[in-house]
Amino acid sequence: MPVAGSQLSAGKRPKWHYITVGVTLIAVAVALTVGWQIIGLSDAARAKEMTTLRWVVYFLGTVLFLLLIGGLVLVVYLLVREVRLNERQSNFVSAVTHELKTPVASLKLYLDTLQMRSLPESRREDFYRTMRDDLDRLNTTINNVLNAAMYTDRPVVDPRPVDLARLVRHAMDLTRTRHQLPRESFAYFGPESLRLRGDASALETAVLNLLDNAVKYSKEKVQVEVEVGADGDGQAHLRVRDHGIGMSRAHLRLIFNRFYRIGAEVRRSHTGTGLGLFIVKSVVKGHKGTVGAESAGPDRGSTFTVTLPGIIEAGAEGGAPEEVAG
Amino acid sequence: MTARILIVEDEAHLAAGIRFNLEAEGYDVEVEPDGGRALSRLAASDPVAPFDLVILDVMLPGVDGFTVADGMRQGGNFTPVLMLTAKSLAEDVVHGLEAGADDYLAKPFDLAVLLARVKGLLRRRDWARGDSGNLATARVGDAEVDFRRFEVRARGQTFRLTLLEAMLLKLLVQNAGQVVGKGEILQKVWNLSPDTETRAVDNFVVRLRRYLEADPRSPKHLQTVRGAGYRLVLEG
Repeated sequence: MPVAGSQLSAGKRPKWHYITVGVTLIAVAVALTVGWQIIGLSDAARAKEMTTLRWVVYFLGTVLFLLLIGGLVLVVYLLVREVRLNERQSNFVSAVTHELKTPVASLKLYLDTLQMRSLPESRREDFYRTMRDDLDRLNTTINNVLNAAMYTDRPVVDPRPVDLARLVRHAMDLTRTRHQLPRESFAYFGPESLRLRGDASALETAVLNLLDNAVKYSKEKVQVEVEVGADGDGQAHLRVRDHGIGMSRAHLRLIFNRFYRIGAEVRRSHTGTGLGLFIVKSVVKGHKGTVGAESAGPDRGSTFTVTLPGIIEAGAEGGAPEEVAG
Repeated sequence: MTARILIVEDEAHLAAGIRFNLEAEGYDVEVEPDGGRALSRLAASDPVAPFDLVILDVMLPGVDGFTVADGMRQGGNFTPVLMLTAKSLAEDVVHGLEAGADDYLAKPFDLAVLLARVKGLLRRRDWARGDSGNLATARVGDAEVDFRRFEVRARGQTFRLTLLEAMLLKLLVQNAGQVVGKGEILQKVWNLSPDTETRAVDNFVVRLRRYLEADPRSPKHLQTVRGAGYRLVLEG
């Protein structure tokens, strides 16, 4: 049955064909190189004396063959990368469509319902709450898409002094309020103040994304430890540890990729566009810092560590961690 | 009798909102948020408590809606399916219908339209079944058509019909001997505009021929009238 443009699988196959062609070409080039060696060496064995010219031709040929193989490998590698990005991109369009349309559909449904039916006050309040959640979700998606566009491949142009410790505690307060969490769900370990050069609003976006993730992938009880400190070599670190669903080793490398989302293992109730950690990575890269993730495995929590260079002065107690109730 | 409706939707807000409204209309409603579980519930050909209608979201965790609809039909469940999706491209509509959905609604939708579609699907099913006293059985050549059971019995075999197959066949039986245009079929059976680009009708005709004709490749009863449409000849 000719099914027109199923977006679920469209456009994957042909590109993989190109990769097959590339791999075949590599195999042919390798075979040719081996052949060249055999011919060259058997020539050398037959002729009592190899002339200089023969040696030069033999070596030049070998070098050119190796260059050819190297080039082909590079091209195939780039192709694979491109295909992967493409697939993620089409998943992203799907995810964003879903993330934008679902809350809109829900808002419309509840609005229609309120308009069509006369409802008791308590029911109306319920519906208003639902609608407010939908608006928040819509807003988050829009911000994520805008931030991802804003911070991609953009170094910090005009770094200014930022108090990372204060910024992180502020982000913790915001996250707690947004998710209506009790005070003890977040614990802060670190100095009162830690100043470095950077872009305050970009850093806040990154930290908020990390904290949001920690909440989103927590189980029923949210318990997140946040640690800020100076490493002593002019670098600051931020560590966010949750006790949530964690992830397997295979995912650790991939989660910072744009549009990447952990698939079937995680319920789709974890809404998102696959942009959050990509934004974190972009911001951190813009600050010439690093970001990494660790997890002991599924169901065993995750830890995200960000390092940022450019400390201006160490915290009040010389960087000794001191617990401050956020 | 109260119609029983299953909502397969993982978005809690939407599921709750649709459920609330259908219950307010007097339907008996259940919600299933997981595609895989929905499939295993619906693919069983003799379910414990059958549903009269399934409202099916396309984007589901695990197994998507197209697969669920397809799996239902493969498993012999011909309950009408109303598909809900965030994608509204014409080819997606067609894809959904070809996968076995009976009607299609793009998100965001109007509540009034949703309720009308639900009512319409249940009515169309009753019409196709012949509940309202109209044509309940027909005879096409050697084949016996039982609209009440959505079955065709021919050559010692029994074929189950989907709602759309039954409706198409019924439309042709009611206009037996006359040419029925493709546009009219799209409008009356699929609820699509007459100029929709799709091979759905042709595909369904091929399927019906497999049930009705001794030799589907040279059809005697379900004839193609070039450039005009299809004609069903009962005798012969």
